[in-house]
Amino acid sequence: MLCQNCGSAEATTHIKRIVNGEATEIHLCYNCAEHLGYANMFSGFGFNISNMLQNFFPEFSRALPTVDRSERCPTCGTSFEEVVRTGMMGCADCYGVFYDKLKPSLSRIHGRATHVGKSGVAQITAAESPKLEDTLTKLKDELKEAVDTQNFELAAKLRDEINAIEGGTK
Amino acid sequence: MSKWYLLSGAENDVAISTKVAIARNVKGYNFTVKLTPDEKYEIADKIDDVLDEKLPGKFVSTPMNEVGRDLQISLAERGIVSPEFISFAEGRTLIMTEDESLSIMVCEEDHLKIQALLPGLELEKAYELSNTLDSVLDEELEFAFDKKLGYLTQCPTNIGTAMRASVTLQLPALAMRGQIGRLSATVAKLGLVLTGAYGEADNPVGSLFQLSNQVTLGISEQAAIENLKSISLSVIEQERALRKELMENLKFQDILWRSYGTLKNARVISFGEFMEAMAVVKIGVAEGEIKVKNENLNELIFTMQPATLNVENGRSLDRQIRDAKRAEAVREAFGE
Repeated sequence: MLCQNCGSAEATTHIKRIVNGEATEIHLCYNCAEHLGYANMFSGFGFNISNMLQNFFPEFSRALPTVDRSERCPTCGTSFEEVVRTGMMGCADCYGVFYDKLKPSLSRIHGRATHVGKSGVAQITAAESPKLEDTLTKLKDELKEAVDTQNFELAAKLRDEINAIEGGTK
Repeated sequence: MSKWYLLSGAENDVAISTKVAIARNVKGYNFTVKLTPDEKYEIADKIDDVLDEKLPGKFVSTPMNEVGRDLQISLAERGIVSPEFISFAEGRTLIMTEDESLSIMVCEEDHLKIQALLPGLELEKAYELSNTLDSVLDEELEFAFDKKLGYLTQCPTNIGTAMRASVTLQLPALAMRGQIGRLSATVAKLGLVLTGAYGEADNPVGSLFQLSNQVTLGISEQAAIENLKSISLSVIEQERALRKELMENLKFQDILWRSYGTLKNARVISFGEFMEAMAVVKIGVAEGEIKVKNENLNELIFTMQPATLNVENGRSLDRQIRDAKRAEAVREAFGE
């Protein structure tokens, strides 16, 4: 393949980067790569390809033995291992199938946010609804903090909320 | 019909163009990475059918493997398609209006990337254009959407609104004063990213930068647009203030008039040299020292690029001939 910049020398440097959400692949010869500032890519500005994917899903590099990476999406056949390796989902249903495993990465990328803004015509519910256990744990943590900081008004309010949920589930 | 970049937009002394891109995937199909070329063309056909019915005569649909290499690169030079989109052509289709302001890249990363491009700082208008087209298509095609995660995309970084809005800004004064590093650190804290438009990231050709939103989940389209707009305006004000200051400087005045001389007199000029001189001259134009219209300068950013010049001339030109043609066009723009 020839260099995309000068079109004359053989391309030896291949760069993938994401600008503006657009994945871009550039093939350059050594001279052009150096000239355009791609030669020293590992210390470069925002396109470190060497560990981009590991950065993307670091939880799984660490949690390798505990997460079952062979599970497949029944719709498109994509395995979780593939998702981690490529950073891409195979279909819309993958989000539902792998939701629990993805959650740490999703919240690292996006925070604890949920979607606000325009809604689609075809709404599917891939993500789970918030679990009561999670809500309870959160409220109990907040209660403990409120007591610790002697914010008793808030503590009383939280205690009522907890009682209401626990009463409802019993 | 004039191409969008030949028109004049708001704040065009600094803001070159505005782009709003929305990624969508059709429900019932795997994501692009898992599709065969036939399935990709099937999606393009479905989009064509909806557009033919709802907005007849407005769009032209072209499979990328029917587009010559020069035109492919020219489309990328003008920001209509991504470099990735032309890296291979099979299965990919470009659907766009005659003025090229509204387009759909079919089966780039996601099934659809709906994109509106306008000159100057025109975020609301660009969003309005792409949003309307999105709604028309969603009604018939049904896009993959989840209540909590929003629009679902192949890459999990884009879920939510799946919208990237960006403003291309020409910031020669901030660049000359070494302010770009500080600026990108500041905008990063505000959920935006500043990158070079062409060439090196921190020292791009012609001091052209792209300012865009980073966050797609948990912020509405309107809020993201409003945020990007107000920060763009603040960057524009900073650039203007520094330009004023530079004009007081004799050394800068010398650089300015020499650059003007280059553009007015050169017989052969590369795109890089043109852009460097033009970025400096922009400051003189903004301060009223040099009488050329901003929109005429801005359109040259698109029309003077190598492949776009080839397309304009109907053939792949030798580099030297192309540089001569460019010099001629630039002299003309400067009223020779």
